[in-house]
Amino acid sequence: EVIRLIFETAGKPYEDIRFSFEKWPEYKPTAPFGTAPFLQVTNGSETLWLSESASIARYLARKFKLAGKSDEESAIVDMYADQITDLMDQIAKIFREKDENKKKEDQQKLDNEIIPKYLERFDQRIAQSRSGYLAPSGLTWVDLYFFNFLDIQGNKTEAIFDKFANIKQLDQKVRSNPKIAAYLKRRPVTPF
Amino acid sequence: MVTYKLYYFNMKGRGELIRLLFAASGQKYEDFRIEKNDWPEYKAKSPFGQAPYLEITNGKKTMILSQSVAIGRYLARKFGFAGKGDEEQAMVDMYGDQISDLLNEFAKFMMEQDETKKQEIFQKLQNEIMPFHMKFFEAKLAQSKTGFFFDSGLTWIDLYLFNLLGLLGDQRNQLFEHFKAVKNLYDKVSEHGKIKAYLETRPETAM
Repeated sequence: EVIRLIFETAGKPYEDIRFSFEKWPEYKPTAPFGTAPFLQVTNGSETLWLSESASIARYLARKFKLAGKSDEESAIVDMYADQITDLMDQIAKIFREKDENKKKEDQQKLDNEIIPKYLERFDQRIAQSRSGYLAPSGLTWVDLYFFNFLDIQGNKTEAIFDKFANIKQLDQKVRSNPKIAAYLKRRPVTPF
Repeated sequence: MVTYKLYYFNMKGRGELIRLLFAASGQKYEDFRIEKNDWPEYKAKSPFGQAPYLEITNGKKTMILSQSVAIGRYLARKFGFAGKGDEEQAMVDMYGDQISDLLNEFAKFMMEQDETKKQEIFQKLQNEIMPFHMKFFEAKLAQSKTGFFFDSGLTWIDLYLFNLLGLLGDQRNQLFEHFKAVKNLYDKVSEHGKIKAYLETRPETAM
């Protein structure tokens, strides 16, 4: 979704191929590492195939000027993105956990300890940037990535927004960006 | 003038990629190794309470960066090891993410306390996960004209994979039997002038 959000925010047209799980085996052979998402970039007679969502996101963000205004800022943006990926990986790990007791235990720890700890730091960093976004220069792809992370928290977001005012504001800023608002209205509704 | 200070433990782990980049570039830096007992003090200074983190000072301005790959990519850009052009850099990043996946799987194995589980994870790592990832690296490296991942020359992911293979210890010899281009990469990085000198003088650590 971060890839879609980048295209939408930049106003760049793209073909958004969505395949069902049943159709995946047809597409898998063309994916660089047999994983999705993957992006096909065609420029004249040349085609580039990219996988790994963060790498795709960073590439597009650079092209569309959503990567930060300097190498230093881009590095900070990358750092934030890697932290969010760590959280996403932990969510995915729990999702795959077969042992029901461990699953509950890990979920509790994630929700009550780990996520709040990171959110607190993010909240502070947003306050420090003074732009209302994670980076001082304004909206970058990591705001979209963070927005998506919050979005998939479902009914937990209310508690998060109650506790972290700067995060709540960032979410609202992203949501009310005209291009993103328009996209959110028309995108397919999916649980995850 | 820019000065750099790296904060990490006295081990290779996730910090060594950064040390290797400094070595390859010849850029001087302070290689601060945190004692385990002192960690709480440094944890508080780190952006997200984790190490490695890098303190970059340029005149009056100081920036602190964490997340080893974010640091690696930033230094690689500065030192010319990021790949040539946006498209190649994106592909470098893509392979870098794959190496990170593998490193995370290996870290899981290293951190497992339960002996039975540890053995299980080891088997899966050795029989499935390692070969699965190495296959992609082998395919890319076998195509290369330079023996590095990309024809344009050494990039940070060559160092990243080199470090991961180093962490495997003697286990890597088994891998090398099946993955010749990967072995070739390991040897090439070992013999790279500035890196060879660094390898000869760096502290010996188990991990």
